[in-house]
Amino acid sequence: MALDKEPTSLAVAVDIGGTFTDVALVDHATGRSWRAKTPSIPSDPSEAFLNGIRLAMGQAGASGPDLDQVLHGTTVATNMILEGKGARAALVTTRGFRHVLAIGRQDIPRKANLYTWVKPIPPVPASRIVEVDERVAAGGAVIDPLDDASVLAAARAIRGMKVEAVAICLLHAYANPEHERRVAEILRAELPDLAITVSSDVLPVVREYERSLTTVLNATVMPGVTTYVSRLEQRLKDEGATPPLMLMQSNGGVAGAPKIRVAPALTALSGPAAGVVGARAEAEACGIKDIITVDIGGTSADICLIKDGKIGLTQNGSVGEWPLALPMVDMITIGAGGGSLARIKNGGLTVGPESSGARPGPASYGHGGTEPTVTDAHVVLGQLPARLLGGSMTLDTGAAEAAVASVAQPLGLDQEAAARGILAIADNHMVGAIRVVSVERGHDPRDFTLVPFGGAGPLHGCALADLLGIRRVLVTNAPGVLCANGLLAADLKSEFSRALAIPGPMNGPETEAVIAELDAQAEAWLDEEDVLQEARVIERVALMRYAGQGGEIAVPWSPDRAEVEANFAETHKALYGFSLSAPIELVTLRVHATGLARNAPAVTLEPGEAPAPTEFTTVLIDGAKTEVPVIDRATLGAGARFEGPSILTQLDTTTFVAPGWSGAVHPSGNILLEKAAL
Amino acid sequence: MTPPPSAATALKPVPDTPLCDPVTLEIIRGAIMATQREMEALVERTAISAFIREKKDFYTALFDENGVMAVGSMVPIFGDLTTPVFEKFPRHTMKPGDLYWYNDCYGSKGAVTHSNDQVLLAPVFHEGRLCAFVMGWAHFADIGGLHPGSISPDATSIYQEGIIVPPTKVIDAGVVNTMALDIFHRNSRYPAQSEGDMSALMAAVNLGVTRVAEVVARHDADVVSDALAQLLERTRKLVRTKLAENFDYGTYKFADQIDSDGHGNGPFSLRFALTREKEPDGQDRFIFDATESDDQAPGPVNLIMNKGVPGMALGLFYLGGDPSQVCNAGGPLAIDEVRLREGSIVQPKFPAPLGMRGLTMMRMLAVLNGMVNRGKGGAPAAQSAYVITIMRGTYGKETGAPKDFLLADGIGVGYGARDFADGIDAVYFVAQENYPVEFLESGYPVRLRKYGVVPDSGGPGRWRGGTGIIREYEVLADEIRLAVRIDGVKNPPWGYGGGKSAGVGGAWVNPGTEREHVIPPLSDGTLLVKGDVLRIQTGGGGGMGHPYDRPAEAVLEDVLGGFVTPEAARAEYGVVITDDALDHAATEALRADRPAVKAFHRNTYRDELS
Repeated sequence: MALDKEPTSLAVAVDIGGTFTDVALVDHATGRSWRAKTPSIPSDPSEAFLNGIRLAMGQAGASGPDLDQVLHGTTVATNMILEGKGARAALVTTRGFRHVLAIGRQDIPRKANLYTWVKPIPPVPASRIVEVDERVAAGGAVIDPLDDASVLAAARAIRGMKVEAVAICLLHAYANPEHERRVAEILRAELPDLAITVSSDVLPVVREYERSLTTVLNATVMPGVTTYVSRLEQRLKDEGATPPLMLMQSNGGVAGAPKIRVAPALTALSGPAAGVVGARAEAEACGIKDIITVDIGGTSADICLIKDGKIGLTQNGSVGEWPLALPMVDMITIGAGGGSLARIKNGGLTVGPESSGARPGPASYGHGGTEPTVTDAHVVLGQLPARLLGGSMTLDTGAAEAAVASVAQPLGLDQEAAARGILAIADNHMVGAIRVVSVERGHDPRDFTLVPFGGAGPLHGCALADLLGIRRVLVTNAPGVLCANGLLAADLKSEFSRALAIPGPMNGPETEAVIAELDAQAEAWLDEEDVLQEARVIERVALMRYAGQGGEIAVPWSPDRAEVEANFAETHKALYGFSLSAPIELVTLRVHATGLARNAPAVTLEPGEAPAPTEFTTVLIDGAKTEVPVIDRATLGAGARFEGPSILTQLDTTTFVAPGWSGAVHPSGNILLEKAAL
Repeated sequence: MTPPPSAATALKPVPDTPLCDPVTLEIIRGAIMATQREMEALVERTAISAFIREKKDFYTALFDENGVMAVGSMVPIFGDLTTPVFEKFPRHTMKPGDLYWYNDCYGSKGAVTHSNDQVLLAPVFHEGRLCAFVMGWAHFADIGGLHPGSISPDATSIYQEGIIVPPTKVIDAGVVNTMALDIFHRNSRYPAQSEGDMSALMAAVNLGVTRVAEVVARHDADVVSDALAQLLERTRKLVRTKLAENFDYGTYKFADQIDSDGHGNGPFSLRFALTREKEPDGQDRFIFDATESDDQAPGPVNLIMNKGVPGMALGLFYLGGDPSQVCNAGGPLAIDEVRLREGSIVQPKFPAPLGMRGLTMMRMLAVLNGMVNRGKGGAPAAQSAYVITIMRGTYGKETGAPKDFLLADGIGVGYGARDFADGIDAVYFVAQENYPVEFLESGYPVRLRKYGVVPDSGGPGRWRGGTGIIREYEVLADEIRLAVRIDGVKNPPWGYGGGKSAGVGGAWVNPGTEREHVIPPLSDGTLLVKGDVLRIQTGGGGGMGHPYDRPAEAVLEDVLGGFVTPEAARAEYGVVITDDALDHAATEALRADRPAVKAFHRNTYRDELS
């Protein structure tokens, strides 16, 4: 399909997954969009990146110079952290505190067995941590000035360590970054080839272990991400495209490549965040603002709660076994996905966290897998028809049955009961995680719409909703490739924060000065990113707590202390069920800078009735073989309605509409499933 | 057969075709574990005291309808927590909406072992039937008593260790006994904290009750009951199988000591024995015997060892790292008889003080490890007992309105090496976190000069013992009264299989100056004034295996990382390091002459410790 006129505002989004690279292209002037899918190339992801863009551009009849914006979600940093394959790095810290990373938070994890738990070796071991002479107090006052000679000695030691990157994290640098900056200055002069990360740049917050770890992780991914970003830029240049390259961050917003080069750890949860942003955008198109998203992939499920259209951020997140205190979308990841293996352990049936991975994958994929997976259970029950979309992809039902039988027999179950059991156990894991997310945010999941996505999500939507008492499920336009859509919908986002030297009662006028400074930083960044004035949103928040508490709540900032404190007390009560008469402390001030994404005009689906089903498949429902209609989603117009049990098919996913549920197509193209009233 | 050591009722037999199929079992197990996570999330987010919020000294558990623990926390210190309540409030008298509460150590036969720990227990009903119990447990920072923080090495009676709450119905069918709570909070030096923490713990138990009731409603009470019985039986069977693999018929003894009670007495020996007998029907009979342990101490190091605890600890060890296993009363139920002697250090007579029992508890775990290793082995070497410093003082004299403060700072230690991995470096215990330096300095009048590991504190071995911690405080307060709890100074944690014993801890004021003096490791009342420097060093864990078998590269990494000194590398490991590099030839020459070793090591090699 060629464009009718000269393209003026083409944005392309590229999401690179483990198996496929998804591309979404949109014309912001007309709202028209195109999609492409190409195999990922793990040895050089930039190649698939380019292949995908070329494919999509080809469909649109456009070429490199037409591109106005390139958006990208990357797992380069994520994988380096998870697999411990980042660059070799060193850490510079305050004298006396070399073992902060080795000690950690001094605990054996709550769910670990103390007899078998092995403490993980930090990304930078103590042998590559050097101390410098200096000391800053909690309030930021300098107790011992920085001794330059000790920094030069550190530089000499680091030179002998053969590292590619250096992290600098000094005590209380969140309150006074001067010493860190001076250390960086000296090291840059002494070691010009090394990538340097400074804690007060990356994460100016209190608590030395978490800040050190984040700084170190940033340092270890910096060389890899920098190289990767440069390669992408080169690829685009080779195509004659020179638009800004925007990368998805863990906080659900995008940022330009220059910022990511300095703080690459900001992309640690890039992929999952993009999906959440995409889900929110689709829900908003239906006028729905309270959603719980469940992104079910091959090996894991990411769960996130969105209230009033606001994606919650946390600074207590983690990537793999490492806490990462950067702002990230507040979600929980559990080891339950389509490829999760069902196994017999101690005479009982378990599902996950082990996974069949991309290869061999589920038995039904026919790549040599023999152990049963969640996907195989769907196949055995008929929820995932063996022949999809007129035969473009077939599944090996026999292999799925044999795999499921291999766990059914020893347990004395029939095949169907075992398959149902596998799904029930996987759903149960996810429900537990959804409940934890809800209680942590102080909400009841029944008040939310469930948005299942990812390739395997819509198969579980109705079952999860039934278990949670949720009455509405939103199946988005393209649940399997929602991340690419999310990239297109993502705003530019960055946070600028300052921890108070010493937490205490809020002093309105004093905070005004700090906020003014943070505002200036935010505006400077928006300038750098070329954000138009009318697209800028600045949000100012105060992070408060009751004196003695360990965690803070963010409330809108104003210079009026009474107003802010009243707001805090109210929020505390709403979240946790009570407020206290204890004194309230201000801990951190933060400015959220947003550059709103351009909205393409909404494209609405032509109205149309659901055609009478022509294809049926057999699904085992409560022990009975039931003939269930298979509906090709592409044939549905806006307003079309259908009843469960039924199966919706489309290229990127399959939806099982359970008995008792009915569906309706929204003009935005999304499908809303509703549970019939009892 | 004697009654099982845990709650009132024996295990129900599991029928051949169980009521709860394997799938539902896994679903119920998953739902209960998720409930625990939810309860923990709620406590963490709403408790007020740093002790709970930052240090995270709280746990949760679920019990079956008979009060037998079906899903516990991963800590080896839980005994029978429900019988103390049932003795006063029989189960048939319980109503929906009830909540029971106690901290009575003697009254509960050691279900709790110092009065700071509050236990809340609630019954779960479904359609009028009692189906399960939910527990929340947390350490309250101050409950009155002799000194702020309620526990002190000075104590000579449990009456000095804060208010005692016998099993009490604090909520009667939804009606809160606010007067009982008022009395409790009034006894705390920090009543607002006490109130906040109690609200948090009650809310968590309430949430747990709701969730478990939902599970019962979804699956039917009989099915859930059967599921819990299966979880118990699964653990019990596994522990009995492992015990039989570990111990031939006969008696296996092990002993270990704590140094002192802080009142000039000691050492005190814990002497445990495990006997495996063959019953007339051919079944195994396991008897745990602690009666040969020393008499109780005048000072507060006495531990009321609940009869369930040895089995719980052994159970946790045998369960290993398999996440599909559940730590529960199946461990205690695996042991047929537990023999204790009243008046001993692990079964003191009322009203002996208990506040510092943590060090005895850690030694108890080491004795159990030693006992396992006297059998076929596989247990870690000994760990040090976690250390605590309690600072009570005043600051801000210059403002004319000095303020009081209380800081109870838990400090990690080294754990014993395993036959597959090094001991854990620098940890306190399961789930309990440190106070970060930056958190401490912004809230308390101290400044840390050093926080790191202690070189050479980990016992040498093929697998090195975990290292202890050095934490050095500069006093910014006007005045501090200091209590410290350090053990294992005279009797360092033992090594096993050729591994050596660990380095020991200590406490000093103004080290390296003319004003230096040593603080007794278990003591209270040391006066510190502004400008003083307090150095606390904690001990490590014992090593495992011959130190000469440790790969030289691992020793080099330890030296470069500050865990082992170059001198110790040469003397203990036979590894020569020059200019931060291995001297292969010198190492080979040194290692050619391999010292002989014996099974256990404490300062010297020995065949047994008793």
